[in-house]
Amino acid sequence: MDFFIDSLYSAFLLVVSLDPEMVNIVQVSLKVSTTSTVIASLMGVPIGFFVAFESFPGKRIVITCLNTLLALPTVVIGLFVYGFISRRGLLGPLDLLYTQKAMVIGQTILILPIVATFTIAAISRIDERYRKTAMTLGANRWQTAVAVFREARFGIIAAVIAAFGRVISEVGISMMLGGNARGFTRTMTTAMALEYDKGQFTLAVALGIILLGLSFGINLLFHFFQGRTRI
Amino acid sequence: MIYHISQLTKIYGTRTVLDIPSLKIESGWIYALLGANGAGKTTLLNILGFLEIPTNGNIFFHSKKVQFSESSLHPLRKTVIIVDQHPILFTTTVYKNLEFGLKIRKIPKKERELIIKESLELVGMRHLAAAPAHRLSGGETQRVAIARALAVNPKVLLCDEPTSSVDAENQVAIIKILKQINALKKITILFTTHDRLQVSSLAHHTLVLKDGRLAV
Repeated sequence: MDFFIDSLYSAFLLVVSLDPEMVNIVQVSLKVSTTSTVIASLMGVPIGFFVAFESFPGKRIVITCLNTLLALPTVVIGLFVYGFISRRGLLGPLDLLYTQKAMVIGQTILILPIVATFTIAAISRIDERYRKTAMTLGANRWQTAVAVFREARFGIIAAVIAAFGRVISEVGISMMLGGNARGFTRTMTTAMALEYDKGQFTLAVALGIILLGLSFGINLLFHFFQGRTRI
Repeated sequence: MIYHISQLTKIYGTRTVLDIPSLKIESGWIYALLGANGAGKTTLLNILGFLEIPTNGNIFFHSKKVQFSESSLHPLRKTVIIVDQHPILFTTTVYKNLEFGLKIRKIPKKERELIIKESLELVGMRHLAAAPAHRLSGGETQRVAIARALAVNPKVLLCDEPTSSVDAENQVAIIKILKQINALKKITILFTTHDRLQVSSLAHHTLVLKDGRLAV
């Protein structure tokens, strides 16, 4: 018990003192996760909106595929992307392996289905009368889509926040594609795994505290925007 | 004459919900459309509002045959507005709700302000211009929805049971508003209702739908 309390106390001091190594790890985590969330949102939101808004043959199959991809394990994505960017892979000459770019690629693949499916859910929940109202007021197809999108805005923001929450806490992709290189690709989760292996808990617990704090903040935001969808 | 309908049918699956051999609607009049639930009133309103396409038949609008393609229907929708039985307002202010149709029509900002002010005044809702629209009561929502429709200066206003979901006080106010806009702006109004008393107090003409057919 003493060991646990000592680790917690030391970790707390580390957080308060803003240890440079810890700050760097947090910065790398936030940078990579934010970048992948932005890219996944730029792709996932339009995909989700199109699937939910339009009628086309095979719509159900597309939704089923996207839902299936939600369960994709991070190690599978890690392996898949590794196959492409390793020296012998198709994109090998681009020298992406063990870089933040590689992590961003993997994480984007991980959360793209999350953004898309949550966007589909957000648009599907919107009352059909909004579409009818926009149309009867003279809106064309594009203007109607914008009006519906606007009504679903909180649900879509919630989708993006949920995706960020998933990606900030993932470890498999960061480890396999980033390589956990100190100062470059070491994220909060990979650093925690490493510190645990080394038997040094202080930094791991400190990062755990920050990650929990971030997760709490993300969840607060998520519930705030989810709540706004039911105004 | 604003509408001339001939041999119009609307079929869902195997069920014929509308079968109207002929219907003429004169410009500037108020029409009441009576009928039981499921008689086809809302479907007819949606067709007249160019939101739904009939299965068969022709519609002449201002003596021009309506082509049922999206590119042809879109300009027509700018002149015919439907106000739902339970209208939905966009989750923004009342002002911005009224601004929606005006922005689509590319009305300049100064002119928009004037139109919105005038439309809200007409329905007695000017004091709620800055209010969040989704927080209004049923009666206020109905009146703002009418104002939103009026703002875009339609030729035809199609109201689906405009007073069915509001209290007695708002019912009287809405009837008065509809009469006033018909008299002032010469807007053709067609409203559906179950209330025969309302028909006699508001409508110039009555249409009765029974099982999708007009009973004269």
